[in-house]
Amino acid sequence: MESRTSHIIDEVEAASRIEDGMTVAIGSPTPMALVHQIIRRGLKDLTVVDVGLSLDMLIAAGCVRKVVSYYAGGGFGVPVAPAFRRAAERGEIEVWECEEGILTSGLQAAAQGLPFLPWRGGVGTSLPEVNPDLKVFADPIRGETLLAVPPIKPDVTLLHAAVSDVYGNVQHVGGPGWIDLFMQRAADQTIVQVEKVVANEDVRKDPWATTIAGADAIVRVPYGAHPFYSRGYYVQDNAHLKDYLDASTAAAKGDPAALHAYFARYCREPATHADYLEQIGIRRLLELHEY
Amino acid sequence: MPSDVSAQDLSPQEIMAAFLARDLKDTEHLMVGVAMPIVEAAVRLAHLLHGPNMELIFFGTRMNVADRHTLPLPAFAWDNRVVRWAESFSDTGHRFEDVKHWHKRVFFIGGVQVDPHGNTNLIGVGPDYATLRFRGPGSVGTPTLSTHVGRYYIVLNSHSPRILVERCDYMSTYGWGGGGADARKKLGLPGGGPKYCVTPLCVMDFDEEDKHMRLHSVHPGVTLEEVQARTGFALTIPSQVPTTLVPTPEELHVLRTRVDPEGRLRRM
Repeated sequence: MESRTSHIIDEVEAASRIEDGMTVAIGSPTPMALVHQIIRRGLKDLTVVDVGLSLDMLIAAGCVRKVVSYYAGGGFGVPVAPAFRRAAERGEIEVWECEEGILTSGLQAAAQGLPFLPWRGGVGTSLPEVNPDLKVFADPIRGETLLAVPPIKPDVTLLHAAVSDVYGNVQHVGGPGWIDLFMQRAADQTIVQVEKVVANEDVRKDPWATTIAGADAIVRVPYGAHPFYSRGYYVQDNAHLKDYLDASTAAAKGDPAALHAYFARYCREPATHADYLEQIGIRRLLELHEY
Repeated sequence: MPSDVSAQDLSPQEIMAAFLARDLKDTEHLMVGVAMPIVEAAVRLAHLLHGPNMELIFFGTRMNVADRHTLPLPAFAWDNRVVRWAESFSDTGHRFEDVKHWHKRVFFIGGVQVDPHGNTNLIGVGPDYATLRFRGPGSVGTPTLSTHVGRYYIVLNSHSPRILVERCDYMSTYGWGGGGADARKKLGLPGGGPKYCVTPLCVMDFDEEDKHMRLHSVHPGVTLEEVQARTGFALTIPSQVPTTLVPTPEELHVLRTRVDPEGRLRRM
């Protein structure tokens, strides 16, 4: 009899499962090791379901054709992520305008194999005008005005979690991000990067703690959410994020030197996640263990 | 205790926070989104002064921190350290799965544009959606929240004719639509709609009949003419426009020593 198959792959193989033009959903905490690998590979024309600065990085790196996002703020007092803003204003990316309830409805419709799910939030607004995929309709039971949200089906969902065994039994510290399981259920395949691979016995000790059963692939990348946080492991590297935001802001204003240097240093020169961590440096990484 | 602070020493943001705080009631569930420092201060002030049973919901973190002398929070909304004060999270599972209970909830919203009927825009500005002149951050959860919550407040960091406009280029929340007390009911929106629009110059409410924005009070030192000149549409002006009540000495003391000891509201 053959033995049970391991789900462990490395980040290079994980990114090779993504092809130009695919729809990629990115959960929270942000699976940055996989995001970096997408940029490293120079993938193009992706439809990206994401928020915030990881979305901004993918756009700035030229990987994105279409954005499905409810929020592209920059943080640190910057109301709109700079690369997102510039690309959208210049018509270089298409935006599938939505909001949190519409996005989860679309993901849920995909997971349930339904042509649409109804949602009320957005009725009366411009959302169905600027996003013609959203249809205003009268519900057949009570005749109420609602939006029909079509399925949002990621080809690949990328998530970050605390641990998994080699069979893809994933356990989070403090539970998954609020949208992670919607993305996982809707996607054709889900790749979860984890801080640590644990023994199958460790999972069996507390099977109720398993948040994703049998993820398609597991990538072991300690510090893999850097510069974002990973619950139970490290806090967010705000200094690094601010450096990125400054570089992206300058690039959006026509001076891309700092942004090119950022991508060269953190995405193109390091061949792997371990090389990336060497660029960040052990001192900085250890500082992130102080609450 | 600064009992002799004159109106000149108050920042408009402190007046805004104190006004909002007084309008919030104990036991209410207060949902605070990203990048709203005035609102953060307002709900914490209310919580400390008269709301020991309030629930503060900051970015999915539900907390009751009335017993905390001060409450250091990360400045960055996505910083996971906000969970330090959580009793539970609204973001386990579907963040929006219990909207039927949201009549108890109070929400606060900003906007890149706000029109005379309290409709707001976070999508962007410009005639052509494919190439906006200003691309906004997106709607976050505001379309759903504004649809369902018991009431909400429009809180603006600045008061200008570019923000307070005759017509939003795009609407990401439906306040009172084209006007009229039954506008929301006709669309089947269960929530109570926007109650006040609060800015660094004044407080505005909505006329009971036509739901057009109406001047409620002006902050100390602000003239009616200034408000009108900096509003991009004709406000309804009642015959008597009072001055916004400034924080009491107690409110100001709590605001400056416990809620905002770093003085963020004095530096905006």
